[in-house]
Amino acid sequence: MEDTRRGTVTSLASLFPVEEAQKAANRVQGAMAEKRAELDHLLGFVADNNNLINLVHKLPEELSHEIMVPFGKAAFFPGRLIHTNEFLVLLGEGYYAERTSKQTAEILRRRGKALDSQVDSLEAMIKDLQAEANFFGQTIAEAAEGLVEIREDYIEEDTHGEESKSGPLKQHTSDLEKTEANNEEYTRMVARLDELEKEEELAAESGNDNEIYEQTTEDDFHKSVSPVDQSNNKSIATESAEKHHNPDIADQLNFASLDLQSNVGEGKNAAAKKVKFVDHTGKPLIHHEEKTVKATTASKSEVQHQPSQPSFDSHKAFTGSIVEHTENLKTLNGQSSSSTSSQVSGSQPSKPVSRFKMQRR
Amino acid sequence: MSSLTSAVRDLQRDLENKTNDLSKLQKDIAKNHQVRKKYTVQLGENELVLKELDLLNEDANVYKLIGPVLVKQDLAEANSNVRKRIEYISAELKRLDATVQDLEEKQNSKKDAILKLQQRIQSIQTTKGKA
Repeated sequence: MEDTRRGTVTSLASLFPVEEAQKAANRVQGAMAEKRAELDHLLGFVADNNNLINLVHKLPEELSHEIMVPFGKAAFFPGRLIHTNEFLVLLGEGYYAERTSKQTAEILRRRGKALDSQVDSLEAMIKDLQAEANFFGQTIAEAAEGLVEIREDYIEEDTHGEESKSGPLKQHTSDLEKTEANNEEYTRMVARLDELEKEEELAAESGNDNEIYEQTTEDDFHKSVSPVDQSNNKSIATESAEKHHNPDIADQLNFASLDLQSNVGEGKNAAAKKVKFVDHTGKPLIHHEEKTVKATTASKSEVQHQPSQPSFDSHKAFTGSIVEHTENLKTLNGQSSSSTSSQVSGSQPSKPVSRFKMQRR
Repeated sequence: MSSLTSAVRDLQRDLENKTNDLSKLQKDIAKNHQVRKKYTVQLGENELVLKELDLLNEDANVYKLIGPVLVKQDLAEANSNVRKRIEYISAELKRLDATVQDLEEKQNSKKDAILKLQQRIQSIQTTKGKA
């Protein structure tokens, strides 16, 4: 069976055009440089503050200090510093307060703490930018090397029904193995689906966290990747890229089991196996053959040529939005909410209800 | 044919106008952001001052720098002044927020209008090309 697999090969460079990735990387670098400059500025303040605290400590040690007093722009004259314990401290906004040296030191310390917290937040921002830049760098390198994304049909091995299906499994066809899929599979699927739904609920939490990240990275992706169709792919891609670096991710997207993507990285494979739907929809069942983690799915865009795809909210974590074959979509469109679809039903066009309901909770 | 070209020209002029408006809007939004930043910084500073003032004893001397003059102020007076300033700044910030929201909405609608115009122009041009 292994040798009968078909697959598509997509060069990463086509998914992430090198120049655009470069531009994005440069932008990130620029932002990082800015932040670094600000950070240096702040660190200068912190250093000044510390020096001042030391000075304020030292001054009251003597009753009066002999100093050279600046006189105008270019002159000094010898003088004495008296009242060494009295300080007029600037509180801000033109307000000064008379304080002793100890109180002044307190004020300065508090100011130093505020500065420190600012420095910390800046550093955190720089780290984030750094991570982004790394990602871009990786992408560029991989695209430059001509790394390709290979997707192959996932051919299940545990049912005989699969055998016959593996033949017609094609990525670009919307072949429905309707005739093949029969009731026994259906019942199996349904049972599966229920299990998966439960897992999805668990995943809901982790799914939420990643959403936010998705959205921010999504923008970058949008810029570097082309059209509309991809937007769906990207959100899924980013999500998957972030989450698990799991080759199955793209596959997941097509399947209800994708919900698992948010929870069970490893379990995906297991889940994918159980979800045999793949066969029907002819979606490239991403299998372990997939070479890259970048799940921007060219194949997905192919798959999503299927017209009436259930509305896919690209900003939500992917939760089992499954593209259904057109034949079935008519009946299923009415019923499916944004994330419900049933691949199983693909094989049974007569059944109007989407049996596989994976809804984002 | 000529009517089509004149229609296209009209549409294009319309497009230009709309793009000008859009750029103006964007400049306004940018200015708004700047002013907001300034106000936010001031607000932060004033809050710090208030905190310090609260830590002062009743008999401590507070001075205010007005131009080149350092003027002695009453602690209570200074407190109330700072508080009022904080309120004023927060009100300004809120107002600016509302304005920026408004501007952004207008900007979005302008963008949509521009898109539609562009599509129309394109469709006319393709029909012209076919004809």
